[in-house]
Amino acid sequence: MTLVAEAFVDWGWIGDNLDEIWDKVAEHLVLTGIALGVGLAISLALAALALRFRRSYTPITWMTGTLYSIPSLALFAFLVPITGFTTLTAEIGLVSYTLLILIRNIVAGIDGVPPDIKEAAVGMGYGRLRLFFEIELPLALPVIVAGMRIAAVTTIGLVTVTALIGKGGLGFFILRGLQRFFSTVGSTEILIGTLLSVVLAVIVDVGLLLLERALTPWARRKVA
Amino acid sequence: MVSPVSDAMIRLEAVTKQYPGTMTPAVDELSLEIPEGEIAVLVGPSGCGKTTTLKMINRLIEPTSGEIVVAGERVTEMDQSELRRGIGYVIQQIGLFPHRTIAENIATVPKLLGWDKARTNERIDELIDVVQLEPEMRDRYPAELSGGQRQRVGVARALAADPPVMLMDEPFGAVDPIVRSALQDQFLDLQHRLNKTIVLVTHDIDEAIKLGDRVAILNVGGILEQYAPPSDMLREPANAFVADFLGSDRGLKRLGLLPIRNANLEMGPVVAPTAHPQDAHRVMEQYGVDWFAVAEGKRLLGWAPGTALETAPDVRSIPLQPYRTRIDVGSTLKEALDAVVSSRAPMTAVFDGDDYLGMLSADRISREIVQ
Repeated sequence: MTLVAEAFVDWGWIGDNLDEIWDKVAEHLVLTGIALGVGLAISLALAALALRFRRSYTPITWMTGTLYSIPSLALFAFLVPITGFTTLTAEIGLVSYTLLILIRNIVAGIDGVPPDIKEAAVGMGYGRLRLFFEIELPLALPVIVAGMRIAAVTTIGLVTVTALIGKGGLGFFILRGLQRFFSTVGSTEILIGTLLSVVLAVIVDVGLLLLERALTPWARRKVA
Repeated sequence: MVSPVSDAMIRLEAVTKQYPGTMTPAVDELSLEIPEGEIAVLVGPSGCGKTTTLKMINRLIEPTSGEIVVAGERVTEMDQSELRRGIGYVIQQIGLFPHRTIAENIATVPKLLGWDKARTNERIDELIDVVQLEPEMRDRYPAELSGGQRQRVGVARALAADPPVMLMDEPFGAVDPIVRSALQDQFLDLQHRLNKTIVLVTHDIDEAIKLGDRVAILNVGGILEQYAPPSDMLREPANAFVADFLGSDRGLKRLGLLPIRNANLEMGPVVAPTAHPQDAHRVMEQYGVDWFAVAEGKRLLGWAPGTALETAPDVRSIPLQPYRTRIDVGSTLKEALDAVVSSRAPMTAVFDGDDYLGMLSADRISREIVQ
């Protein structure tokens, strides 16, 4: 057993490259964070548009659905001639893939706010904007965060692909590992890249779940 | 039965609502005046436009034509949000904000109006007390409350900015019958103190009769069949629809609204302890009963069967039994009738505290129905 493990994992390499591993974890998180942040902002705007003008919802989902269906490799390959080997290129791709999930969840979450709550709010003199930000958005939060969690996990996986355009976070190790596949160092890099990427996804997922709980204290207090 | 214009806090003038694509209007040329400090109840079968009418007052629904005036101002000329912040609004599902505490829910309109913290907090405490909630409820969330408690928070929230006008759409519809009755009583108590002008919608005619100073019965298509104080309506329904809607126990319902009047009280088969046995025989005959009661001044000492007179030398020496069929003068005629029919006697003794006032007979009660 130990021998087999020795054949694939070079513990010494891990010890020697801790700094680089740490740098790539940080890059991975930054790429993911920007993608989610920008994706959320764009999604909120598009969801607001869809909610205000119902007819725009179908074209919006059609558009973002199309983006979602483009293979990531192809999308990056298509963007490189335009925006080069830059973070911008990476982010355009990553953000594109968050939109469909986020918009759908925002719209579903806000549609799910009980009509009597909205009627009471409007009947007491809430304007449209106030209603959206103070009543609808907070109440839709659990559904929106559920979308964020899916988007986050998807993005963390997808970030590795951006290694192809010189970014990639932990994907950097996976790609370099592939290039020297028939060596212990190569398989170690692939393992480290994959494993840490999965760990990141789990941590971010749990983190968002805890964030949701902290933001929705009312949801857990019910009469027995 | 329409009050002078100057008294009306809310006035509807030939208000019509016709939804696009419909042949008949939901509300048809409805005119109503609601005097300040009164509760007007809109009642009728589904499709009668009662909720539509209510929602036109705070412009949740815009009328197709006609005029609605609240506190002297035409609602269509006011800013929508400003109008609504000045009118208390309670709906059947209450619609409390689940993500806000009870205190924050109550503070909704004060916050919209920009009250400062101290004033808002003071008002929250006051209202929690007014609607009889526990002060600990302040920091709970709506999901932690019972249906009845939520309903009271809904009323407190509507009262927060002390609006002169309240609109209530089936406000007691979502709670069970026992809680509903208690909430109605509490609501009437509250109204006696606050004197708001209230428009309340219900489909329950008993609720309408119990709560309304005036009741408007609407028919399908928003046609006003009758608008009158409930006791007038019960005595004299305007037409067959109203009579039918009021139900076949109209007379009994009316008794439930009428107070005991001193004019209806009779002395009854009552004698003083010093009376002669012959006096007792005489009052028994007069009232057609086989028993008599003994009273000394305002104290009703008890009663005895007529047969007791055969063996006793005088009234004073007859052993008396306590008088059980009794009712307080503040009761309604319906309660008095209930006391009468649940006893063997054709009448009930009426008291003001411990003071005996007189007897009320089933005969006198039934005469009130037709009056």
